[in-house]
Amino acid sequence: MEAASKAGSGDKAVFAQRLPGTASQKSSWIVYVLLTLLILMVVPPLIQLLQTSLYDRSVDGQTLTFTLEHYLNLFVGTRFLELVLNTTWYSVGSALFAIVLGTMQAWIVERTNTPLRKYVFLFSVISLGIPDVLYTISWILFFGRSGPYNEIMMFLTGATEPVFSVFGLWGMIIIEGVGWTPLAFLLISSVFTSTDASFEEASTMSGATISSTFRRITLPLAKPAVLAVAILLFIRTFESFEVPTLVGVPGSFYVLTSDIFLEVNRSFPPNYGQASAFSVGLMLIVIGMLYFYFQATKQAAQFQTITGKGYRPRPMDLGNLRFVTAAILVLLFLFIIVIPMIMIIWMSLQDFFRPISIEGFSTMTLDNYAKALTSSDFGESIGNTLYLGVGAAALTVSLSMVCAWFSVRRYKHAWLIDQLATLPIVFPSIVLGVAMIRLYLNLPFPIYGTVLAIIIASAIRYMPYGMRYAHAGILQVHTELEEASSISGARQMSTFFRIVMPLITPALVTCALFIFLIAVRSLSLPILLVGPNTQVLSVTLYTLWLDGQLPQTAAIGVIWTAVMMIFSTIFYIVSRRSGMSVR
Amino acid sequence: MLNVEKIWKQYVSEDGTPGGGVFGESFEVAEGELFTLLGPSGCGKTTTLRSIAGLEEPDGGRVTLDGKDIFNSDTGVAVPSYNRDIGMVFQSYAIWPHMTVLENAGYPLKVSRTRSYSNAEIKSKVQEVLRTVGMEDYIDRPATQLSGGQQQRLALARALTREPKLLLLDEPLSNLDAQLREQMRGELQRLQRETGVTSIYVTHDQSEALALSDRIAVMNEGKIVQLGTPKEIYQRPTSEFVANFIGKTNLIHGDVHTAVGVNASAKVATPIGDLLAYFTAAIPAQARIGIVIRPENIVIQASASSSDGMAAENRFEGKVIREVYLGEIEEYEVMLDHGIIVTIRTSPGKPISVDDKVLVHFPPEHTIALIED
Repeated sequence: MEAASKAGSGDKAVFAQRLPGTASQKSSWIVYVLLTLLILMVVPPLIQLLQTSLYDRSVDGQTLTFTLEHYLNLFVGTRFLELVLNTTWYSVGSALFAIVLGTMQAWIVERTNTPLRKYVFLFSVISLGIPDVLYTISWILFFGRSGPYNEIMMFLTGATEPVFSVFGLWGMIIIEGVGWTPLAFLLISSVFTSTDASFEEASTMSGATISSTFRRITLPLAKPAVLAVAILLFIRTFESFEVPTLVGVPGSFYVLTSDIFLEVNRSFPPNYGQASAFSVGLMLIVIGMLYFYFQATKQAAQFQTITGKGYRPRPMDLGNLRFVTAAILVLLFLFIIVIPMIMIIWMSLQDFFRPISIEGFSTMTLDNYAKALTSSDFGESIGNTLYLGVGAAALTVSLSMVCAWFSVRRYKHAWLIDQLATLPIVFPSIVLGVAMIRLYLNLPFPIYGTVLAIIIASAIRYMPYGMRYAHAGILQVHTELEEASSISGARQMSTFFRIVMPLITPALVTCALFIFLIAVRSLSLPILLVGPNTQVLSVTLYTLWLDGQLPQTAAIGVIWTAVMMIFSTIFYIVSRRSGMSVR
Repeated sequence: MLNVEKIWKQYVSEDGTPGGGVFGESFEVAEGELFTLLGPSGCGKTTTLRSIAGLEEPDGGRVTLDGKDIFNSDTGVAVPSYNRDIGMVFQSYAIWPHMTVLENAGYPLKVSRTRSYSNAEIKSKVQEVLRTVGMEDYIDRPATQLSGGQQQRLALARALTREPKLLLLDEPLSNLDAQLREQMRGELQRLQRETGVTSIYVTHDQSEALALSDRIAVMNEGKIVQLGTPKEIYQRPTSEFVANFIGKTNLIHGDVHTAVGVNASAKVATPIGDLLAYFTAAIPAQARIGIVIRPENIVIQASASSSDGMAAENRFEGKVIREVYLGEIEEYEVMLDHGIIVTIRTSPGKPISVDDKVLVHFPPEHTIALIED
């Protein structure tokens, strides 16, 4: 998931850097400390991954022998090619699905006078609170053999057999696509807000109708940015893990991430070598796509004109059509939040798996909640998860704040900090998991299986997001605010704590909440790293689901989702207030 | 008081091409003086100011404040800005939005490392300085609730709180609207005279510079091109650049045949005939000369009326081609021989209109001859 922000309006938002590109730069030893730290975070997993893919370890673990076998396996037979193709179809489908729904939603919200449009932001952000695993499970239940969808379709078509099997490519595309719609919406709506609405007003004044303005002006202007978002979504789904493993694997539809996971998790002994070689392959593909992504964003930037002053264009009057668009928003709301939640809540109230029905109401029970709340495993899991979230957020935010400050203020060699801190975007979570597991196992001290191990991996994974928030936050602090402190007699440290910190606090809180949310909802990163005593909730839910303990999974999921939704609501409020929009 | 010696700073843009900078500039500012650096954007005036403040490190040169080196590239001295005892008003004011007026203005005392101030001391000091800028009633206001003019006063108060040796002002009025700007200009001048603080003022607005300064250094392309009192700069520009940059001016090209000394008068051959002009710089023989005359210094008369009272020297005939009524003045454009057009400003009410034949006179003491730029 991508995090960034646009500059808020008002006096604070004057962009710094009065003299672009100066010859003599300030230098500081802290830059080199940060560089060392970042190198220690980013480089070892990379090396570990390459090493594991190129060397076979003897059974006693003592000797390493060089081998190209794992890489040759990529090209021997059709396995790898098949996986790449599967992943591509799946990613293209889900990205398209999300981008179409997201763009439609963004246009309705940003440019028309549709009722209810103000609430779309809120529910999009709140949906971030639903853990990925739970989300996926709820849709499996909805589309399942005896789920409401098949029931309704059987009723409508008179079929006697379920008409749709969720376990396969189409199920994956729909579930993943709906899952990414809120993000697509948030990203695209920021495209609309940063494109001058007077382009559209000029079209209206030239006599164009709403639909031809949309077709001839709005869409062509938004096209580069929408393309960039589409590539981003494609990359994200390419590296996604939850849906491939929960929906794809049972239907024997394998993609790269699920295959890598199975090599490690389901084969004995774990085939790290093969998993690493596949991981390197996946990473190279991701790097290639990131190149296109950055090209596209560069293109898109040419059409973006920030009008500043919080200028909001007058929304287009849709007339009676606005009730149609409102209905679309309500429908999307149902699909993104209501239906998944109903499915889960229903299951959480049943003693065993039971499709939604009138009779089901009589068998409702709160036993699952009682069981969940009294289970010590659950308590421990929640504790670990909170520790993980807070730890990852604290580590990422504090590090990225200092890094971003040095880089924005253009200290000597600080651009390297920037590069290193953004490098982890090439690691899909599952790949980083494979790399970290090998790294931790080779370290002389016992870190594998601790929550700290997951925290460190998460900090590496989410550093790029932290950097984007911190960057945007610091850009909002005019250089002169710091210079005024210096000339008032305050040393650099004093200036940093008295001036910079208080001014970027809103940005940091937003960033911390965001990192917290994505760290605790992710399954793909912790799944390979948890130890027997360090379960975190996403993994607990996954294991319970695999064990077939559906009602208990649902009950725990509901409780946890409620907690997370409180966090995501706070996130929404804070990010609005700090002028940092969620992307 | 302040001595700037040959400071040098070359900017290089990201693609490696040299950008602007400051090239070997030197000047001195006397105790209590209001010294202005004036020039177009990119002329290096702000770089000079920031080098004095210590916010920018020059590549070479020396800056001394009160006899002590605060920067010296030879000895490697570069006192950090927080140890320079200089107050500064920034172009954006740089009022910290997370603090109140009191906290903003009291900040220099709060972070002082030479002595520690109690909160009561800070408050009384701040009250005093706020009174001088007329902001005493706002002491507990959050900074975000101040208007542009109030922020400006606060920025000034903050710069004065710890009674610095030197006050630097970086285009402090450029963000205010026209009316407020004029009012603040007056107050700034009053305050500087009252406190007697040595000040360096940076601006690109020539009228601001003329109205405020004791002395002005006009800068162009990283160099000081003329240094003098406002009167000298305006009336005796030494280059076409200065003449053009400060106020509206007419320029006529010509030649001298013999060398002319500085501050002498001599005849210059121009397309409209010989012009007796005043030389602000020594000029060698056979030089190409630019002659500048301010529009308000040219005398105009309808040729129908007698030429009484108008000297025969530097007098020419012409035709009015354009008339612009500007309220307190009237502006004429007059075409002379060879299609040379001059702009003339007079008090309104003269019975002259477009297409009239007129007589114009260039008083020799205001007809300034310069070497062509």
